[in-house]
Amino acid sequence: MTALSAIPVRTIAAAIGDAALRWSDADFPPRVRATNDIVERTGYSIPAVDFALDALFGELRTDALLETIARELGDPAALDGATARIRPLGRIAILSSRTTIGVAIPAMCFALCAKNDVVVKDREDRLVAAFSESLAQEHEAFARALRVAHWDGRHGSSRLQGARLIVVFGSDETIASVARERAADARTIGFGSRTSIGFLDASAQNAPAELTAALEGAARDASLYEGEGCMSLHALFFERGACHPSVLAERFSAAMESATNEFPVGERSASSRAAMLQQRNLAAFRAAAGRGAAYCDERLHFLVLLDPPAQEPPIFLPRTVALIPVDSSEEIVAYVERHALPIESLGVTGTPRSYTEIASRIGAARIASLGEMQRPPIQAHHGGRPRIAEYVRFLDIDGERE
Amino acid sequence: MSREREAEELDSLVLATIEGWHRHGRALTEAEFNDLAIALFTHQLRYDPAYAAYCAGYGISLNALPPHWSAIPPLPARAFKEAAIAAFPVGSAELVFESSGTTLGAPSRHYLENRRLYDASLLAGFERAILRDGARLRYLLLVPNPAQRPHSSLGYMMGRVASQFGDGETGWYLDEDRLLVDAFTADARDACERAQPLCIATTAFSLLHVLEVFEERDIHLTLPAGSRIMETGGFKGRERVVAREELYARAIRAFGIASEQIVAEYGMSELCSQYYDLPGSERSFAGAMHRVKVAPPWLRTRILDERERDCAPGTIGALAHIDLANRSSCLAVLTEDLGAAVDDGILLFGREQGASLRGCSLDAEDLRRS
Repeated sequence: MTALSAIPVRTIAAAIGDAALRWSDADFPPRVRATNDIVERTGYSIPAVDFALDALFGELRTDALLETIARELGDPAALDGATARIRPLGRIAILSSRTTIGVAIPAMCFALCAKNDVVVKDREDRLVAAFSESLAQEHEAFARALRVAHWDGRHGSSRLQGARLIVVFGSDETIASVARERAADARTIGFGSRTSIGFLDASAQNAPAELTAALEGAARDASLYEGEGCMSLHALFFERGACHPSVLAERFSAAMESATNEFPVGERSASSRAAMLQQRNLAAFRAAAGRGAAYCDERLHFLVLLDPPAQEPPIFLPRTVALIPVDSSEEIVAYVERHALPIESLGVTGTPRSYTEIASRIGAARIASLGEMQRPPIQAHHGGRPRIAEYVRFLDIDGERE
Repeated sequence: MSREREAEELDSLVLATIEGWHRHGRALTEAEFNDLAIALFTHQLRYDPAYAAYCAGYGISLNALPPHWSAIPPLPARAFKEAAIAAFPVGSAELVFESSGTTLGAPSRHYLENRRLYDASLLAGFERAILRDGARLRYLLLVPNPAQRPHSSLGYMMGRVASQFGDGETGWYLDEDRLLVDAFTADARDACERAQPLCIATTAFSLLHVLEVFEERDIHLTLPAGSRIMETGGFKGRERVVAREELYARAIRAFGIASEQIVAEYGMSELCSQYYDLPGSERSFAGAMHRVKVAPPWLRTRILDERERDCAPGTIGALAHIDLANRSSCLAVLTEDLGAAVDDGILLFGREQGASLRGCSLDAEDLRRS
């Protein structure tokens, strides 16, 4: 028995939706406090944090949760009652990442919808803990079902004891480490380091209004969270022959500059600043030798590197984007393969479905419109994996089918 | 004037500068440094087309020279990986130093037309920083052996130092990538028995490896009086990293020496000159203890912000070195190393690991805390 096993799934989803609705209000006092703490932890600007929280809690609607559950599991009612044939795993542990704001919260909500007891490792800003208090206010059973804490790993392994599943948002090394140290009967699901790229084909470049929107959107995707998230755009490919490369680069650079107004630059380490200066000057050196160019503002808030050498991987620095000309999408595939890039999202214009083949070939988990890459819908999979199906076990009865 | 003649005259000027400091302690005035820097820069503009093209982007050319050495455009160190940065035909280079590194799969290459400036600079710097007492030491070298790695600047440097200042019994203990700890231990013990003072030159990584073996085997030596350790190189590209304080504390225990007998050197293959710890300069900065590093007078360093402006003293920024001994390549080199200017030198903070894919990620430190 888990703390939520007697609560109908619709009640759980409604409580989560109601709590998220309160958190969607930027003036909700707990959110105001959390915003300040997130700004302090990450160094991101307030508008960037607000964007993240709006995107996060705006998606956690009751109807969206139930829709996702229905898509993955069928009728949500199958989770309810003493004879339910879809059962919780028991206890699930979720380890939050350092970068993406609130990345553990959707996983936690679906784990709760599946009626599991949940342990979450929070970050220093204690966003998850604050949201869990709102959940407990919506329904007292959450107080028993949910344990949220920020802990130091040297003393935290006992908190993972009894977990049937450990969900880890982290680097590949982190995931491997947790997998090595987990209890024999626990399973690990890892969401490792990934990155995102975009593509502007010739037709997108030939439609002026569409191109403007795409470049503005791409700039937003590259600028949010200082380029630190898995959905952050780090390479934007464009098909040769439509827009002149330098014109495109100048327009994209202007869009990047506008994005610094919408989402002011956060705090940067001296190391990041030094690395950006090195990259800018290296690009200037290459330009002097006849290859590519660097575009930036005077304060180096952003950096657009036009036509860097193909053998150079994307530069994972704040608001730094490689703008790469290609003759065909084959070159994108070759680039991704050459650098063994784990791709989260492919940002495109027009009809996303028409990019299915290339997305599949580069191993992307998602195709998104440029400008929407940082707003993954809750009904979609996360990193190509189900939202809830891995948090349940199924009880099948021979001769009966749903 | 021919290129060769001009180069020879400039080399003579730089050599005289080095000699003046080395033998007579004569520093350079601001005006002297400036004049020599601009003369060298003009030479490089004239004969180093890759650097000249880069400088044109700053609006600087032979017809528009910078008014002051601080306005000389610093070339990003990574450019040494992508082009021959040389004010002479590189086919006639007497020395070629290569750094490790994998950007574009190519190492950084520093071509030097002759070895005169490099040798003079390194010997003067080493003698003033490490051998102020004039000691003739035995050199035990945990650095690349030039016989195996002819393009290692560190190996070349220590080879020159040992042959110039050593007792003729130099030992090399890095066989390709294998550290010969047993041979090193035996030779160190032998020197201890003979009371022959030692200079152990080592990268931080090699030192750590030796210390781990010593600790595992419970080996403790008491190096003869006058011995010293020169540590350099940090932990670039290595997974195991320990803090300098811890490394030195373990070395003090293992070798029976005092803290001031360990001196850190900071150099790079793209430079001909080096920084060393200033004795007795330990101080607190940003919550940690650091030693001030000082350079010979022909090497100056600007600390730059992201707008390529000089940072205020005490503010951390990127190091851009102006090394007058880099006559035949490029005298102004922009690094990704971090530092801060203080009254008597610079504080060096090295660099963080290269920016890497993050995504929904924790970093390696978080890994151990998860």
